[in-house]
Amino acid sequence: MKKMFTTLAMLALALVAASQAFALTGEEILKAVDAKLQPGDLEMYRKLINIEPNGNKKEYTYWFLRQDKDKIITLFLAPASDNGRATLRLGENMWLFIPNVGKPIRITSLQSVVGGVFNNADIMRLDYHVEYDVADLAEDEGQHLLTLKAKTGQVAYDKLRMWVEKKNNMPVKVECYSATGILIKTLYFKDVKDMGDGVVGPTVIETDSPLYKGYKSIMVSAKLKKRTFPEEVFTLNYLPRVKELR
Amino acid sequence: MIRLAPLGLVARLAVLLAALGLALAVGLVRPVLAEEIDLNIPEAEKSPLELGGVVEMRYINHILNQDSALYRLRYYNQKPGSYTEEWRPQLELKADYKEGIAQFHLYTHHEYHEFYSDYETVNKVYEGYVSLKPSAGVTIEAGKKAFSWGKGYAFNPAGFVNRPKDPDDPELNLEGYTALGADFIKSLGSQGLQTVAFTPLILPVFNNENTELGQTGDVNYAGKLYMLLYDTDVDFMYMGGPNQPDSYGMDFSRNIWENLEIHGEFAYVKDARKQSVGSSGGVNIEHENQVSYLLGLRYLTERDTTYILEYFHNGAGYGGDQVDGFFAYQEMAWRQWLSTQNAAYMQRADMLTRSYYRSKNFGQDYLYLKISQKEPFDILYFTPYLSFLVNLEDLSFNVAPGLTYSPVTNLEFNLRVIAPIGNMGTEFGEKLDDLRSEIWLRWYF
Repeated sequence: MKKMFTTLAMLALALVAASQAFALTGEEILKAVDAKLQPGDLEMYRKLINIEPNGNKKEYTYWFLRQDKDKIITLFLAPASDNGRATLRLGENMWLFIPNVGKPIRITSLQSVVGGVFNNADIMRLDYHVEYDVADLAEDEGQHLLTLKAKTGQVAYDKLRMWVEKKNNMPVKVECYSATGILIKTLYFKDVKDMGDGVVGPTVIETDSPLYKGYKSIMVSAKLKKRTFPEEVFTLNYLPRVKELR
Repeated sequence: MIRLAPLGLVARLAVLLAALGLALAVGLVRPVLAEEIDLNIPEAEKSPLELGGVVEMRYINHILNQDSALYRLRYYNQKPGSYTEEWRPQLELKADYKEGIAQFHLYTHHEYHEFYSDYETVNKVYEGYVSLKPSAGVTIEAGKKAFSWGKGYAFNPAGFVNRPKDPDDPELNLEGYTALGADFIKSLGSQGLQTVAFTPLILPVFNNENTELGQTGDVNYAGKLYMLLYDTDVDFMYMGGPNQPDSYGMDFSRNIWENLEIHGEFAYVKDARKQSVGSSGGVNIEHENQVSYLLGLRYLTERDTTYILEYFHNGAGYGGDQVDGFFAYQEMAWRQWLSTQNAAYMQRADMLTRSYYRSKNFGQDYLYLKISQKEPFDILYFTPYLSFLVNLEDLSFNVAPGLTYSPVTNLEFNLRVIAPIGNMGTEFGEKLDDLRSEIWLRWYF
């Protein structure tokens, strides 16, 4: 009896040890989430839809290029009033090119080039693990719950709470908080399917905000292609000409 | 220039009201439920030819300052009274066509402009050029192109190849210059010196092209060296030519904090020609080395209020004594006209003061401030703003509250009032208007 108890205890210990050996750390989960959302160098098309409380909506379409961990370009294709606008992000540096103005001007991540709930930080978001450290990993209703803390004061949101599916590391929901602890917005990741080039991820991101009661914004991603561009594309001088690449 | 009969007031207001009605009608479209949202992205399909444009209808109401120097200069023999209107419908068209490494770009401007008894139509090619891109780092361009050098918002002293901005409308499209140019870009990494780019330009004067830059046959040269250095944009510029002074410039822009950007420009123009007029009408022409500079910031608060603040020292501007003499001469010409009714006095004054009035702001030191609030009271796509332009020498100023509202896709509604304030003998106190109210609609297609 004693021998059987010892064997069972050792087996239980071995199972615990094995599960811990296979359990992902918070950082690994975060990197896995990033890989689901923006896997490597790529181009894709996005539609951003702002919906007002009365149901009126406004749509924007842009071409999205991402390279390395910190280079992003967006080129607005629609509506006509925004056609030709382009943004460039190199790390914490962001610029906006408006054809009328004729030159790129520096902008900040908290601004929004399109109005509505999504701001520049959402539209030109870097990988989460580039901007955030994992402060805590917990479990909530069968999902991972990551608490993320911004690495620097330059990041748009000081703290994030991120819910992640355990089975596939797919993000479900992210709450974004200011440094003073105010909930700025919540992102909901939906409609997981092939975005293009065999990459499976959430093709729809919805957001709402207590700061914009009744308003909602939706970001749709499609036609993803893994593509690497010459480094010169991600420069200020190239930005006015980026549409020639499409 | 083609002269057309002016539209009647009723017709103008009817067109404007129709446009407003259209805006409201489109704005009251049936609400769209979230479930009806189309998740397809048809714009992802590429087309080698892209066409587009914008229609603008602008109505301006002028309450005139009948005692101002400019009013007397323009209307000494007319009587527009204390009030007049300006009507300015315009159309801008653009086309882009891509074929292999070549890109063709065309941007045209068409305008009917009516102000008191003057009216004209303007048809101009703002841009028309071909661009060849053999690699990502090399571009060669030939044709007419609008350049925008410098980092300033309201002024660009180092923008040697720019058309001068109107500080009341710094974001308006402007006509370009005809040039043969190139752009060489080298990306060097993500630390220290991250990017270097060099943009040489040749700007010849021929036929009716680039006539502002010299005499027919002149060939002007310009160049800009850009660097992204330790997260700071830095440019060095040069321009010169047979009838152009050697001009050297630099600018910079950098985000100090996440929500604070600073920028600056410096320009040194060697041996620049400057004409001034004395109080008795004597003309003085001198050549001088002019130093201009600009320092500015752009600050965004947590409540989405943006502040743009710029100080501008204009080395080509006119100082206190020169401005006093300029206004004193116009006063003298006006009195001579009143006593003799001889138009030659005013015609000469008009000719001699052109060098002042040609530049929108002829003073030496300015402070510009624009405060804009994005989407107050949760009203999406609504931005009210307030801007000030102060002549620091005579302390006269322009104050301009306005708003932009674009609730409907591709339709933009603008309203603005501009009030120049200052004593007689000051820059803004002598402006044509006591008050200028503007309303305009833009429809993009």
